[in-house]
Amino acid sequence: MAKIKLELVNLRKEFGELVAVNDVSIAIEEGETMALLGPSGCGKTTILNMVVGLETPTGGDILIDGQSVLKVPPGDRNVGLVFQDYAVFTHMTVRRNLAYGLKIRKMKQPEIDREVSKVAEFLSISHQLDHKPSELGASELQRVAIGRTLVTNPEILLLDEPLSNLEAAMRNQMRRELRRIQADTGQTIIYVTHDQIEALSLAHRIAVMDFGSLHQYDTAHNVYQYPANRFVGSFLGNPPMNFLKGKLTEDGGKRIVTSGDSTIPLPAGKLGSDVSVGSDVVVGVRPESLNLAAADDPGRFSVPILAVEPQGPETVVTASFGDSTFKVIVPTGTDAVEGSSISLAPESDLVALFDAESGVRLLDSGERR
Amino acid sequence: MVTNTSNGGASSLGLRKPRRFDPNDKRIIPGLLITPVQILLIVMLIFPFVLEFVISLTEWQPIYGDFWDAFNSVFTQKINQGISYNYLVTDEPRYLQALGRTVIMSVISLCLEFVIGLGLASLFLKKFWGKRVWFTALLTPMMIMPVVVGYTWFMLFQYNGPINQVFGWIAFSPVNFKWLNDATLAFIAVIVTEVWHWTPLFFLIMLSGLNAVPENPIRAATVLGASNFKIFWTIILPNMKAVIIIAFVIRGMEVVKLFDEIYLLTRGGPGTATETISLYLYKLAFEDFRLAYAGSAAFIVLIITVVLINMMLKPIRYQLVEGR
Repeated sequence: MAKIKLELVNLRKEFGELVAVNDVSIAIEEGETMALLGPSGCGKTTILNMVVGLETPTGGDILIDGQSVLKVPPGDRNVGLVFQDYAVFTHMTVRRNLAYGLKIRKMKQPEIDREVSKVAEFLSISHQLDHKPSELGASELQRVAIGRTLVTNPEILLLDEPLSNLEAAMRNQMRRELRRIQADTGQTIIYVTHDQIEALSLAHRIAVMDFGSLHQYDTAHNVYQYPANRFVGSFLGNPPMNFLKGKLTEDGGKRIVTSGDSTIPLPAGKLGSDVSVGSDVVVGVRPESLNLAAADDPGRFSVPILAVEPQGPETVVTASFGDSTFKVIVPTGTDAVEGSSISLAPESDLVALFDAESGVRLLDSGERR
Repeated sequence: MVTNTSNGGASSLGLRKPRRFDPNDKRIIPGLLITPVQILLIVMLIFPFVLEFVISLTEWQPIYGDFWDAFNSVFTQKINQGISYNYLVTDEPRYLQALGRTVIMSVISLCLEFVIGLGLASLFLKKFWGKRVWFTALLTPMMIMPVVVGYTWFMLFQYNGPINQVFGWIAFSPVNFKWLNDATLAFIAVIVTEVWHWTPLFFLIMLSGLNAVPENPIRAATVLGASNFKIFWTIILPNMKAVIIIAFVIRGMEVVKLFDEIYLLTRGGPGTATETISLYLYKLAFEDFRLAYAGSAAFIVLIITVVLINMMLKPIRYQLVEGR
């Protein structure tokens, strides 16, 4: 394992009665990009502010390179923060914006000029150096904000919802740009977003948060394929994960979940201790991990079809499983008619089992990456 | 058939265009309709202004008889034209001194008001006990009538008044400053009164200006390592440029008119030590009845004021007019 750059230890922040960040512990390796993912108001930005020093934690510790930085003032932590609204200094030219941090570090003017032109070239804003921010477009402002931070060569770069103020086309371009920055500079980056696609496409690791609590912190692959609980499963993926309510039973040594006439087989694996045969459970399965079953597939199960919606090359089939409905994506041309039934087989081990009440993952199956 | 598309379909169908107001129409009715208002404006705004200018070119005083004769003299007797202007600028030190004194007094008062007002406003960004009460208390002076302010400070600045008494307590020996009878002290007294009276306005404007400075650039500068002092100079003040200039313009226009407080405190005295341009004009017009002369003096002040205010507005003119 590479060197740990930043470590949050039981980090906690309360605003009066409200617990904004509830004992979050995360370790980030050097050169890694970590996405803090969660719906608005889940405490992502509060974590950034605490790392950077704009907020003081109520409890816990923040370690950079193994040293606690709680007593270090914001400017001396050498952590760069790019604000969601960019917070570019509107009364200064782009050049003076980029030079601001270097001037404060009392760098000599020729050196400042060199560094500024280097970072401006890297971010392709050289032609705008002598313009005021009011003459710039949103993506250029974003580059100025990133450049202003990058030029000071921070240990960790924090990005607060960097793409949310851009229109769709710009967003894709800037996403590529961010990936390039990350590859070329080898920066350790923390990236706050509420957009799961951004998180999945940019980050090595994702921390999924809700209501101030950390739900899962793992690689992008594992967070997507093996959600730790029902919230993580529902927050990532589009169309969202299917949730099928049922009872856990056993059939000839194999675990299955039944509801009404329908049954779905579960993969082998270690079952949580507080769950037994007969418990109410929820099966979580992503639409794309359900395939049409071959006639002799041992894991196959049959469900009645409620609706068929062809969408060009794919067809979305809505089927029922007991009281729950769920969606499956099948190739167009599949023999699926409303009222008949469809035979499906889940992809090996990508079926998750959650507790019906707490939503916690019960079955430890599959291979994590 | 070739259809004239630019003319719409109306003419080809033989229909008349609907009658409505056409700004390019040269017919006289629209012009006539706004004429009464135009005349009213000319009579009420421009005519007195022109008349005053014409008077200022003559030497007319009420005791000289009918104005119209004097008015004619402007056109017949070329010698008299603009004589008072010439005299004021070259041969009347009292006028020039009053002008200079007004400028010095204004600059000192405005700067003090600005610094104190901004300082108080900065304090109000933090939380402290009794903030609301302090806020109201700090705003009160500017709501008091100038005459009352003048009278109050006249009383406070008396030879055996409370201010000397307080200074006496601090110095442990009787203090007998002749506040209103000494040229320098009277000048200071007038500035103190003025600053006390109008700092609240600066405080109010500066407070709203400070609150309007966006927070994130300040936080961004903090993260980049800027000290509070540096943030104040490089982020907060530049962001308040427009507000500061507008405060100076508003107060600047007011302070050159400074009259009532001085009139009550010193009547411009001792001698002419605190005589501002308004007091001088007042004495000219209503004590000496030299109306034409006062008119010319006022015109020069007007031109100076207009030029100065426009110079002050210059840095933000574009921003204000173009809206960005």
